[in-house]
Amino acid sequence: MVCLQVELKKQVQEKRIKIMKKTNMMLITVAALFTFAGCTQTPDAGGKITYSKTPKEVYDASCVKCHAADGSGVPEKKAPALNDRQAAELELDLYDVKNGGLNQSSGTEHDIMEHNMKKLIDKGFDYDPKAMAEFLEKSFFKKAE
Amino acid sequence: MSKEQDINKMVDMVGEELKKHGVSRRDAMKMAAVGSTAFLMGSGTEAEAATEARASAATGKILIVGGGLSGMATAAKLTNTLSNPDITVLEPTETATSYQPGQTLVGGGLWTGDDVTYKTDDFVPSGVTLIKEKAVEFDPDNNTVTTSGGKTLKYDFLVIAAGLKLDFSKIEGLGISETITTRGDDSAVRNVIGQNGLASIYFGNGAVDTWKEMQKFVADAKSGKKVKGLFTHPNTPVKCGGAPKKIMYLTDARLREAGAAARANADLTFYPNGSKMFGVAEYHNAIQKQFEARDMKWNYRHNLIKVDPEKKIATFNRHWKQKGAWDEDLEEYGVDMKSKEVEVEYDFMHITPPMIAAEEIAKSPVGSGKGWVPVNKETLQHVKFDNVFALGDIAAVPMGKTGGSARKQYAVLVDNLISRMEGKELTAKYAGYTVCPLITSIGTVMLAEFNWTKKPTPSFPLDPTQERYIWWLLKVYALKPMTQYGMLAGRA
Repeated sequence: MVCLQVELKKQVQEKRIKIMKKTNMMLITVAALFTFAGCTQTPDAGGKITYSKTPKEVYDASCVKCHAADGSGVPEKKAPALNDRQAAELELDLYDVKNGGLNQSSGTEHDIMEHNMKKLIDKGFDYDPKAMAEFLEKSFFKKAE
Repeated sequence: MSKEQDINKMVDMVGEELKKHGVSRRDAMKMAAVGSTAFLMGSGTEAEAATEARASAATGKILIVGGGLSGMATAAKLTNTLSNPDITVLEPTETATSYQPGQTLVGGGLWTGDDVTYKTDDFVPSGVTLIKEKAVEFDPDNNTVTTSGGKTLKYDFLVIAAGLKLDFSKIEGLGISETITTRGDDSAVRNVIGQNGLASIYFGNGAVDTWKEMQKFVADAKSGKKVKGLFTHPNTPVKCGGAPKKIMYLTDARLREAGAAARANADLTFYPNGSKMFGVAEYHNAIQKQFEARDMKWNYRHNLIKVDPEKKIATFNRHWKQKGAWDEDLEEYGVDMKSKEVEVEYDFMHITPPMIAAEEIAKSPVGSGKGWVPVNKETLQHVKFDNVFALGDIAAVPMGKTGGSARKQYAVLVDNLISRMEGKELTAKYAGYTVCPLITSIGTVMLAEFNWTKKPTPSFPLDPTQERYIWWLLKVYALKPMTQYGMLAGRA
């Protein structure tokens, strides 16, 4: 009787160890896979979007109305200058405008332009933020005097 | 799904994944037996190829500003890669290298403060010089940095990994006028935050105090008192955008532990400045459903601007859009911004403070209008100075302020920095990958992985919007050793 109990206890113990080992092995493997995951992803992973107009076409037909022909902005229209920053910084702002913020719940500092951008996209004035930022830098950026 | 089912499913899936990588399950078992560290370093798997550092004979004096997770991991990987490394790290804080992602667990009473506190000295790679001073002046035209101790350091290549500052002074009524860092001297803040129902897991001691305050809150609810808990999220970028919600989920879990009556007595509300739970629609929807299922409430578009710690009243700037006048240029109706102040009483309030770049960096030639160091978001090279790079919280990278993104960024940065040292083109690109292991209760996590495509980018073929026990295990047991032995050793 005692012997049987010991045997039973042993079996339970073994089963526990088995489950523990299984969990451990899996967790370690998961951690390893997770570590190396995402290395090969590119920003286009979600499928490429094609745009009907080039950044220049969008700028000349729409942005120019408020941000001026030289990108210097129009204060009365609350449109800031776009000629004082380089592509990487501009891209961040354009990203913020198009996505309504850069963070989970921080919101956007471009509330009005976020609204306007949605309307402009409906009218066919969509653009790739990176391509637009590069166009703006190339066309307007002034080196510090 | 039960824990056992979850594990079994995962074991099968892991087996399949391993097969794809050419590893049999038996080999994996053996490797697991050797220990997680060895496995993470790669033992004859694809992992090895991925982490095998390319040796480089390139030379140059490298200065790294900041010895947190990003800075130290960068120093370690450079040390592994360069045959003649010449690396100096500037870091004044004794515990800068600490494991910040664990602070949520400290705030929820699951870990202690010691579990997440690492000494910077223990993580300095051999051969690297650590100067315990702060960078106070940047002169990138002459390749020099001046330190708080008055030294002028000359460099050939500069890596800025200075982290960010918590700015409680932007919130009126707290009586706080100084900014603090997550680690280091927090005396300007700790005598207000961490007392009398106010809490913040965003600094080391604050996380410890959060647990004390949360316990009082739960005890009040249990004793039959009707109580209100508020959880804020400011209008600035924040590190770990999920943490303001994670601490709310943990408060909910602790109340439920105390009983149904205790939970029923507590009213929990999330007050974010933005109008979303998450930038990725799939995760946003999943979180709203999780909130509803737990009777956790939310009020979007509320930014905390004032606190009366005596009367326990929080004042928010509530802002909204209203249809405006016809806009000739837009050929549509525009919008007008409206706002008003709203007062809300609280018994417990978790504050996520506004976060900023340190002034001495923001206003220097390497800074920018918004303060963050402007870099090409894919190569992490500075936009103006091609021998300067930045990563981690200080870099102007969208959605980039998490340990998960730093883990991807430092490898890209080192690769590109070495290419630059060798006079080659920069080819490594960061795709914006980040991960938010969103703790949804004690025992469940939703592993929100995503990148700049704003689509879920799960590492595993599992529905990423589900809360799972297995991700809880990953968050609580695996990510810390991964960081400690993988990332801080410059290996993974």
